[in-house]
Amino acid sequence: MDSHHHTAVRLSSWRRRWRSGRVAGVPTNPGLEQWIACAPADPAVRAGSGQPIIVIAMRPKLAAVVTTYFKYSHAQHIVDRFLDGYGWNGAHHYPPMDLVSLYVDQVGPNDLSRERAARHPGMKIFPSIADALTLGTGRLAVDGVVLVGEHGNYPRNEKGQTQYPRFQFFEQIVKVYRDSGRAVPLFSDKHLSWNWEWARRMYDTAREMKFPFLAGSSLPVTWRTPSVEMPPDARVSEALCVGYGGVDSYDFHGLETIQCMVERRRGGETGCSWLQAYRGEKFWDALREGVWPRPLMDAALTRSHTLTPARPGFTHIFPSTEDLRRLVRDPVAYRYEHTGGLKCTMLLMNGLVRDFNFAAYVNGSREPWSTQMYLPMPDGRTTLADFFSPLVNHMETMFLTGRAPYPVERTLLTTGLTAAGVESLYRGQARVETPHLAIAYRAPRESTFWRT
Amino acid sequence: MLTRRTFLETAALAAAPRTRPLRIAILATVYRLHSHAQHMGDRFLVGYPYGGVWRKPNAKVVSLYVDQKPEGDLGGARAREFGFDVYPDIAAALRCGGSKLAVDAVLLIAEHGDYLRNEKGQILYPRYEFFEECVKVFQAEGRAVPLYNDKHLSYSFEKAKAMVEAARRLRFPMMAGSSLPVTWRLPAIELPLDCEIAEAVMVGEGPSDAMDFHALEGLQCMVERRRGGESGVRAVQLLTGDAVWKAGDEGRYSQDLLGAALSRSDTPLGLTVEDGRTQDLLRSGELRRLAKDPAAYLIEYRDGLKAALLMLDGAVKDFNFAARLKGGEVASTQFLLTPDPNVTYSACLMHHAWRMFETGSPPYPVERTLLTSGMLESCLTSKLQGHARLETPHLAIAYKPPRESRFARA
Repeated sequence: MDSHHHTAVRLSSWRRRWRSGRVAGVPTNPGLEQWIACAPADPAVRAGSGQPIIVIAMRPKLAAVVTTYFKYSHAQHIVDRFLDGYGWNGAHHYPPMDLVSLYVDQVGPNDLSRERAARHPGMKIFPSIADALTLGTGRLAVDGVVLVGEHGNYPRNEKGQTQYPRFQFFEQIVKVYRDSGRAVPLFSDKHLSWNWEWARRMYDTAREMKFPFLAGSSLPVTWRTPSVEMPPDARVSEALCVGYGGVDSYDFHGLETIQCMVERRRGGETGCSWLQAYRGEKFWDALREGVWPRPLMDAALTRSHTLTPARPGFTHIFPSTEDLRRLVRDPVAYRYEHTGGLKCTMLLMNGLVRDFNFAAYVNGSREPWSTQMYLPMPDGRTTLADFFSPLVNHMETMFLTGRAPYPVERTLLTTGLTAAGVESLYRGQARVETPHLAIAYRAPRESTFWRT
Repeated sequence: MLTRRTFLETAALAAAPRTRPLRIAILATVYRLHSHAQHMGDRFLVGYPYGGVWRKPNAKVVSLYVDQKPEGDLGGARAREFGFDVYPDIAAALRCGGSKLAVDAVLLIAEHGDYLRNEKGQILYPRYEFFEECVKVFQAEGRAVPLYNDKHLSYSFEKAKAMVEAARRLRFPMMAGSSLPVTWRLPAIELPLDCEIAEAVMVGEGPSDAMDFHALEGLQCMVERRRGGESGVRAVQLLTGDAVWKAGDEGRYSQDLLGAALSRSDTPLGLTVEDGRTQDLLRSGELRRLAKDPAAYLIEYRDGLKAALLMLDGAVKDFNFAARLKGGEVASTQFLLTPDPNVTYSACLMHHAWRMFETGSPPYPVERTLLTSGMLESCLTSKLQGHARLETPHLAIAYKPPRESRFARA
């Protein structure tokens, strides 16, 4: 798509949603304070004549639909940033939009949503998702929806998956869309659903109803140390992530870490054909047999800022294989292949690291190419989980422009890989064929990780 | 005496291809777990990560001197494990117990340990004293080797200056300072060389005279890149308490830049600790409520640049910088102090020390740290003298910053 066409599409979508016009100087509309000028900062929004178009848009209204809202829950991190702003580009940034309604599925003793609503009277709490989206009017009354189905007490199934009701929330949201004959952009936090069929239905529904849909982890969009990007159209022969956390939770973050890098490879993303999980003794056997390249794992570990010292009396020492066995009690690996032949490995090494580190063989080099997706994690290291800031900023972009800044297909694929990993573990670490994950898409050329 | 001729011979030797490991002496105040000496000295024993590789420098620690050996001393255990000796004095460590200088490089790490404080609150770490012992050996032998001095050169500017002069006189490469200038930055920005800086603000936290030194080094490594290079400091003033806020109200430092620096923080305290919320500490007024004992180190450079370091204990727990370039653009970043116990920023610093040992070229001028050492001492003198503005003619220290960036970005 050439840039002219791109601009035209973008402008028309803006015009559809909000009023726009060619305005010189200060617009003359009355009640100006509730309008904002969004376009001048965005060089993409320019007319063919080269004249900047000043787009005067009403501040979008947003609804948030969340499972629960307590300190350091995902909903708190995300919704708070819309309410109280966040540090961005060297200033405290207040999103140019209003989060006007909130639905909270579980309100426990540690709930913060009531405090937030009291302090931000512009945000009303509604007893149902439909009410939150319609503001009680019976018709869709918001311009965007933020769905955060992470944290809260939900049952686990026999495979160990927490049955967060993302799909159910999504279904209620799109019911309002359908009933109102209008659909607005939607962000869905983390994987689309624990259940692949449901995730696929969410994706298909968004496509069918043609609403912008963004999802996923903050790992692809956070800081990197070093601040590097996979070159576009790179040849990638192997990729690996060493991370931490649990199955059906942080494995997803590790998969998103890998995917946001390898999707930039030559030919673009084509999907994955199989996955095999390794856990416990089988993990150590696989490590010994070289199922994944040890140099990539070692390179990833050199990027960690949280390597558990392998010996008492030392603060930073590279672990031997024996050290790994002693430090990591329940290691997990997902080894999987993309349809073009690229093989990737996601490692969860609890007890060894508390960060996510990526390494790959790129463009034929025998030296691993590596970085860390840096999370300023409030587990004693920081007080703010500021990796949510770029995630919220990308949501803002979508709510303002009507375009998702990166493809939801990435998260459709990582959702499927997460479910396949769980399935492989459940089936005794058997190899799982994944013909349903033949998901092809093109990554944006422009980087979307935090660099400014 | 070290003559020009012997120096050149030494330099030629250093430049020759080398397979023999470079012999290193470590001089430490203490070598306990989590002490600077342990973090940095260990890098030459067990290696360190840099640039995506776990590096094992072609170096061998051959001697150690430890001034204090409280309970938990690791020096003896390290010596036994890694095959070197702990010597009773610095001269013996440099000569490995023999009669001749027997090392190729010196790591001088005089941070931590039980030392007195003076009336300015400075801990009297014996950096100058350790250094003088080295210089005596270098002079007696007519040969000097590269030396890394951790943190400030000395609490005393006069002593610091004598150290730099001795290094110049004996022509040995020397680097010093904090890890802030070489650690990761969020975002990974560098001010363009020869940029015009209108004003700069640094925000930090932690006790004096340890953490304010780090913050001043963070500030200095940024502003030294301005047009004309560094020319030194004309005057300093240290304010504390309400005078800090009053100075801000009077425009003695930029509120905008303070806000920009704070926007880079991942550690706002107060309400964020209570319930996780994000905060605009400056505009909400929480900053003044949280930072109960603030300090402002006001720095007037000789070329007219004004900078301020604000130590805001109780409000944030990280180190952030902002500057306004002429033309209005504001640049801001966080100096990322990576978590304990790895403190990977010390690997960044030791990589530069190692490169200096290998090549004989310091990565950045030791004059930077001479200036920050002097700025800090004069600020603390200002505090002692009723927060008076002090002219600092002795800080007319000019130097050129390195063209190449030295912070971690690979």
